[in-house]
Amino acid sequence: MDAFLSQYFDLDIMWRSLPDVLSGFWVTIQLWLVASVLSLIWGLVLSLLRQLPGRAAAPIRALTIVYIDALRGIPLLLVVLLISGGLGALASEDVIADWIGLPRWFGKPDPFWYGVFAITLTYGAYMAEVYRSGIEAVPSGQMQAARSLGMSYAQAMRKVVVPQAVRKVFAPLLNDLTALMKDTSLVLVIGLAEVVSIGQDIQAETFNSSALVLGAILFLVVTIPLARIVDRQIAKQQIRYQRA
Amino acid sequence: MVRLEGVHKRFGRLEVLQGIDLEVKRGEVVCVIGASGSGKSTLLRAINLLEPAEQGRVFLEGVEISGTKGLNDVRRRIGMVFQQFNLFPHKSVLENVTMAQRTVLDRPKQEAAERARSLLERVGLADKLEEYPDRLSGGQQQRVAIARALAMDPHVMLFDEVTSALDPELVKEVLDVMRELAREGMTMIVVTHEMGFAREVADRIVFMDEGLVVEQGPPAEVLDSPREERTKRFLGLVLEH
Ligand SMILES: Nc1ncnc2c1ncn2[C@@H]1O[C@H](COP(=O)(O)OP(=O)(O)O)[C@@H](O)[C@H]1O
Ligand SMILES: [Mg+2]
Repeated sequence: MDAFLSQYFDLDIMWRSLPDVLSGFWVTIQLWLVASVLSLIWGLVLSLLRQLPGRAAAPIRALTIVYIDALRGIPLLLVVLLISGGLGALASEDVIADWIGLPRWFGKPDPFWYGVFAITLTYGAYMAEVYRSGIEAVPSGQMQAARSLGMSYAQAMRKVVVPQAVRKVFAPLLNDLTALMKDTSLVLVIGLAEVVSIGQDIQAETFNSSALVLGAILFLVVTIPLARIVDRQIAKQQIRYQRA
Repeated sequence: MVRLEGVHKRFGRLEVLQGIDLEVKRGEVVCVIGASGSGKSTLLRAINLLEPAEQGRVFLEGVEISGTKGLNDVRRRIGMVFQQFNLFPHKSVLENVTMAQRTVLDRPKQEAAERARSLLERVGLADKLEEYPDRLSGGQQQRVAIARALAMDPHVMLFDEVTSALDPELVKEVLDVMRELAREGMTMIVVTHEMGFAREVADRIVFMDEGLVVEQGPPAEVLDSPREERTKRFLGLVLEH
């Protein structure tokens, strides 16, 4: 029992590794926030492309569906490796410019941005489906009313349909953001010093897992409140349902 | 004002409009009656091209609007009120009435709000500006919807069974607003089951069955001494109740 406790909950090791683990967690948080914002935007763009009206847009719709299906069906880890290896190599062969092939924007190293790209590409596809369910849940009378007032399709989407759709899918989107946060740890395979990779290094040095447990606790500090927000939101929607 | 020539519309194999000819003059109030499924809603949506006809022509103020571009400007001149109100639930009453004024007509915020206020006052809802639709009764919501359509300064108004979803005691407040509108000379095409309203307000009654205009004429003629067998049968069914 003592061996078990000291393997996972050695307070001394936790205390000593705290600064490193915290700095790793800060990287995780930054990766999470940047990738979240971009995924939320990219997902919305994809869902709108997927539902573009009219015959002329059929190829765009088809391509978008292929993209969404493909990225939802491939492991994120694989996308991370494809992006980092691929972009780096293409940049060194001068096929693409360095600023995109070896991105170092805002003082962040290229693995950070490869991670952002890969996560956004994948989670954008997940979120596109979430948005779509929200858009489809908005009664068709809303679009008709907006159009009957002379609003264009784009205006009706922007002012009437999307705002209602986003409200409906707030909870599932937050769930995706929680999953996204956990998946940021995959970027350690391309050498980003985020919280899990730092915990792993300490584990290798000390033969002790307490730094990783500390990392786990930090994740929970963020994800558990998110889960409660989701619960509250679902309860609120149910009340609104009963009133309507 | 509005003219339809040989308008056909099908959904898959179902031909919902089978060649409609109809003319509505400026200031005229036309009530469209007919059994459920006879194509009345589709007719209204063919007029403002929410559901463009695949055959036939639609004219607004002498200009053909079917098969043309610039439908947004056409639609804004045709107000429409729906059975299910279709208010924007995420917006306040005031915002419901100002939104399209701002986005479609580019009216300044102040001006749009003023117009909205005066219209909402006219439909008796001056005290509800900041409420959200789900806090209003059906009758109040429908009156907001009428104000919302009027805010675009439409030249003609389409009403699609606007009292059918209302509790009986709320029907009158909506019909009163429509009566007032008719008195002021608005051109109106009203799909309704309210025979009393039709008799009182309509200049002309149009009876539709299976996607065709079967009979039309002044209320006294169509309602009291219909010529067509199908009209008689329909009126027999409705007037029993
Ligand atoms: N968007 C649509 N797709 C398929 N069928 C439709 C659609 N709209 C209406 N219909 C069908 O067309 C027929 C006429 O409908 P409608 O115009 O709503 O009749 P009414 O308003 O007189 O009750 C009905 O059988 C209805 O099911
Ligand atoms: Mg109908």
